[in-house]
Amino acid sequence: MTTTEPMVRAEQVHKSYGPVEVLKGIDLEVKSGEVFCLVGPSGSGKSTFLRCINHLEKINAGRLSVDGELVGYRERNGKLYELKDREVALKRRDIGMVFQRFNLFPHLTALENVIEAPVRVKGEPKQAARERALALLARVGLADKAGNYPSQLSGGQQQRVAIARALAMEPKLMLFDEPTSALDPELVGDVLDVMRGLAEDGMTMIVVTHEMGFAREVGDALVFMDGGVVVESGHPREVLTNPQHERTRAFLSKVL
Amino acid sequence: MAKGRPEDIRAVPVRHPGRWVAVAAIAVLAAMFLHAMLTNGALHWDVVGQVFTYSTVISGMEQTLLLTVLAMVLGIAGGILLAVMRLSHNPVLSGVSWMYIWVFRGTPVLVQLFFWNFLGAIFPKVGLGIPFGPTFVSWNYNDLMPLFTVCVLGLGLNEAAYFSEIVRAGILSVDEGQAEAASSLGLTHGQTLRRIILPQAMRVIIPPAGNETISMLKTTSLVSAIAFTELTRAATDIGNRTLYVIPSLIAASLWYLLFTSVLSIGQFYVERYYARGTNRVLPATPWQKVRQNLSTLRLRKPVGDAS
Repeated sequence: MTTTEPMVRAEQVHKSYGPVEVLKGIDLEVKSGEVFCLVGPSGSGKSTFLRCINHLEKINAGRLSVDGELVGYRERNGKLYELKDREVALKRRDIGMVFQRFNLFPHLTALENVIEAPVRVKGEPKQAARERALALLARVGLADKAGNYPSQLSGGQQQRVAIARALAMEPKLMLFDEPTSALDPELVGDVLDVMRGLAEDGMTMIVVTHEMGFAREVGDALVFMDGGVVVESGHPREVLTNPQHERTRAFLSKVL
Repeated sequence: MAKGRPEDIRAVPVRHPGRWVAVAAIAVLAAMFLHAMLTNGALHWDVVGQVFTYSTVISGMEQTLLLTVLAMVLGIAGGILLAVMRLSHNPVLSGVSWMYIWVFRGTPVLVQLFFWNFLGAIFPKVGLGIPFGPTFVSWNYNDLMPLFTVCVLGLGLNEAAYFSEIVRAGILSVDEGQAEAASSLGLTHGQTLRRIILPQAMRVIIPPAGNETISMLKTTSLVSAIAFTELTRAATDIGNRTLYVIPSLIAASLWYLLFTSVLSIGQFYVERYYARGTNRVLPATPWQKVRQNLSTLRLRKPVGDAS
């Protein structure tokens, strides 16, 4: 890697909901082109942290930046200024997100789901967007489902449409929030295959997951979180096979 | 027995003798009612027919329709605006919306109609100018607001307050994940609302909106109180003049029933349109239902026999 600037940098990120502190000082760096896995028990704050990266949640303290720019704020003369809604929207174009519950738009067909943002946000001509969308749907193995509504698709198919929808904006970073947790075991593989393909193409990905097999095989870095802090980090193979921390060992013994 | 796929089940359907008894009883009652209505000379059905197509009734009916359409357009547009303002993070907008709804929902629509009608007595002149300073142009209130405009505004502004609550319920019914997904794709608040949230909210909004439209059709009769001639007023005028009061009211009611029926049919198809994507199979149209029922009736005959 020639770029020295990491894709995502978090320094002492804190996040509270009222009196409850969910993130208690997260420090980490995600390099460009890396598949970065976040694992940990539920309630450990990994999904919250992921949502902070595209400003779906506001952080209360610390610094969080994507591609060298602060998330949600502008810094001038040592003072932070909140970004306007439009500026936040502009930055989110470059960050794709895939949700646990897919969140496809149910009133639009698979194809319409994919072309919505390129046409409305980037002003891409409809015909060009359609062609790209069909290619993306083919890439996730759903070329023949373009005209189907989400309710006519299985969970795995819906999640693959959701990935195509995020890719249509040509993001430089993809966030995956437990993308396979709501799927039947049989359908998990198709979604993971698509994600594996993305990783091979060099996409920078942050993946919150319980799929340790995927993390070990595809991941370049892994962080184990618990109780709002990073307990252990390193290369997935090292952390997963030879955990140093007692808490990590206890967690892995249950999920592996 | 040869192996392979067993024959399709052709069972005798459950019989519902109670239904047939009920149908018979209702038929007798309906026949008695119709007989009483048709043989009662006081109802003057010939007069009903004449009033139904009398020129003043026809033009009153047209005014009623026009009022309903315009008041609903104003009500729906205002309602959407008020709902979006109410849900806005901007405290000024949501406060203004709250106040509006409080005032317009909190007073009778009849009182509001009187108010708009007699506003000219309080403010005979309306002008544009610098606040507390000189006025550049001014109009007489009564020239600016002919009776028809007063009616449309009175009904429409009141409707907006009610409709905004319907729209708000619809918007709140859409899963939060939809807005999150839309904003994570870079859509702005406005785009998310127009393209993603409102189309899904429509499914929840349409049934009460149909209700409101049908209700508005009949609420327009209130404007007769400020001397505007619409359907009810036209019919009662004839009734008062000729003393055929009941036949005239029946004629007007038939017009209302006719339009209500047309609106109900329209509502069905609009609901069906917005159900796409959420229902795997769209609900059958009445025509499709009739055809289904006919085909099952035909099927019932060969139940049990082999051919």
